[in-house]
Amino acid sequence: MSSAQIEIQLIASLVAIACAIPGTFLVLRKMAMISDAISHSILPGIVIGFFITQDLNSPLLILLAAITGIITVVLVEYIQKTGLVKEDTAIGLVFPILFSIGVILIAKNANDVHLDVDAVLLGELAFTPFDRLLIAGVDVGPKSLWVIGCILLITIGLLFAFFKELKISTFDAGLAASLGFSPAVIHYGLMTVSSVTTVGAFDAVGAILVVALMIAPAATAYLLTTNLKRMLVYAICFGVFSAISGYWLAHWLDASIAGSITTMLGILFLMVYLFAPNKGVIAVLYREKQQRTEVSLLTFLLHLRNHNEEEERHVNHLNEHINWQKVRSKTVLELALKNNMIVIDNHIVSLTEKGTDFTSQAIDYIITNEDSKIEHMKDDFFLFRG
Amino acid sequence: MKNNIAIKVDDLTVAYNYKPVLWDIDLEIPEGVLMAIVGPNGAGKSTLIKSILGILNPIAGSVSIYGKSYEKQRALVAYVPQKGSVDWDFPTTALDVVMMGTYGSLGWIKRPGQKEKKLALEALEKVGMLPFKNRQISQLSGGQQQRIFLARALVQDASIYFMDEPFQGVDATTEIAIINILKELRKANKTVIVVHHDLQTVPEYFDWVTFLNVKKIATGPVKDIFNDDNLTKTYGINYKVSIQE
Ligand SMILES: Nc1ncnc2c1ncn2[C@@H]1O[C@H](COP(=O)(O)OP(=O)(O)OP(=O)(O)O)[C@@H](O)[C@H]1O
Ligand SMILES: [Mg+2]
Repeated sequence: MSSAQIEIQLIASLVAIACAIPGTFLVLRKMAMISDAISHSILPGIVIGFFITQDLNSPLLILLAAITGIITVVLVEYIQKTGLVKEDTAIGLVFPILFSIGVILIAKNANDVHLDVDAVLLGELAFTPFDRLLIAGVDVGPKSLWVIGCILLITIGLLFAFFKELKISTFDAGLAASLGFSPAVIHYGLMTVSSVTTVGAFDAVGAILVVALMIAPAATAYLLTTNLKRMLVYAICFGVFSAISGYWLAHWLDASIAGSITTMLGILFLMVYLFAPNKGVIAVLYREKQQRTEVSLLTFLLHLRNHNEEEERHVNHLNEHINWQKVRSKTVLELALKNNMIVIDNHIVSLTEKGTDFTSQAIDYIITNEDSKIEHMKDDFFLFRG
Repeated sequence: MKNNIAIKVDDLTVAYNYKPVLWDIDLEIPEGVLMAIVGPNGAGKSTLIKSILGILNPIAGSVSIYGKSYEKQRALVAYVPQKGSVDWDFPTTALDVVMMGTYGSLGWIKRPGQKEKKLALEALEKVGMLPFKNRQISQLSGGQQQRIFLARALVQDASIYFMDEPFQGVDATTEIAIINILKELRKANKTVIVVHHDLQTVPEYFDWVTFLNVKKIATGPVKDIFNDDNLTKTYGINYKVSIQE
């Protein structure tokens, strides 16, 4: 690997981490669309900043553009508060206007400089290693690396300091307010971090990839865990994985790096969506099928327990008695036999001792919902997995 | 009679989008009472609690808690919100939610540790939810969720408890369990304020009551003011509740 290749992957990975952190909270706050709005409406801020500083990586430019991001959020909330339109409509009203102001500003004034709409939307990771930061004449690495590195450090610092506050205000804004953690302060803090990250990353990766890196890894992680810390870690891992694998995909296909990273993000989400162990589509379908079988089994065992008459327990008769359209009675009979819960004697089914015990325990559990009672049955039966 | 005033509300008017939903409320709640707030849907019961807690800003009037502003007395107050005000799909467990009750005493930045965890476990035990401590909260039933929120208020170890419809959708056993915990709190001279819809049980559960419907209709001891007259004024129709002695 050449040093340029390493630098590109490093920049992409740092951007991925810097995006995944605020992205996780945006996803949990159901504010994914806001990141889209911010990423587009910062354009006028960037253009104006560029006129003033003539440098796309200047801190002043980042600050100006981030302020545009905050203005977007405030405007969206203001329009929404009038109660005339919903949040998504408000977002749809605000950002195209700000974005087009940016486009007009570029068209009018910046035709001859290195700033065009394509670059803003798509960025160009491949060029990042060429724009070096020189300190006292010494080359210390690509400028983008320093910019995004600083933003990432600040983001991580804020995350560690305010993790508890972010968690509580996202989960329960009412409680946060009543405990003295102003949800508004935390909200605008998060919006500021999102805006700064977007601006800092846009030059390297473009607005579209920033949105993808904020939302997709977090949405993927959300499918895999019920623990916020883990969700953050997973989101970061997915982001970095997509950044690096996307880079090599682009290398291999000779395609756009940002496009390839976005593709990897999509593929990763799709895989997890299908194969996640608990919330994945396949797991859910499989579990439903198992549960159907097990509910039928239980119904069947219960029926046996409640009826001593032989005609009620005849194999053929059972088919009519229990509603088994969805599960073939053979499956259930076999399952019960395999687990030694019933014996079949001359077409008459009866419960074994184990079957009787199991039935009472299962009923007990369903009524009381006390986990200790069925600890030992959990491995065999889906029904009892909470 | 009790003479320490826990909460004092003066001329409180609260509006959403400049449309007042609470008009000129005056209220004095003595320390150590178990008080019901009753009134029809949309009467402003939740709004009243939220304004006392500083979650909403009133357009007029003031609130004091033991003579000082809420901001100064925050540590004295715990709050169980009406169901549905939290994100149930949030990646967090029952234990974690209860721990959040300790965040207030920690303040900004400081993180919860072993001591906070122990408090949370004790509270879970008290409401009978210890076996569910590691469940994701959306996988709990409505009544179980309610108990988790009660536990969260208990760890706050406050002097004043606000509960917005804690009995909504809970079974009889849970309701009795909750009311027993509330009565214990009162015994410890805590003030408990509960938004309550089941008028039949008011005399049995509470010793103090406030009738609210946009305006305050009446407030005082249940035995003095819980009568058909006030109920009719509050609910607008002829109301008959026979109080069993
Ligand atoms: N966020 C809001 N924006 C606008 N109006 C609101 C808002 N929340 C409540 N209201 C209105 O304020 C009034 C009082 O609402 P509040 O929630 O306090 O009623 P409540 O007494 O708690 O009713 P319930 O018994 O249904 O819980 C209602 O008319 C309601 O429609
Ligand atoms: Mg209410």
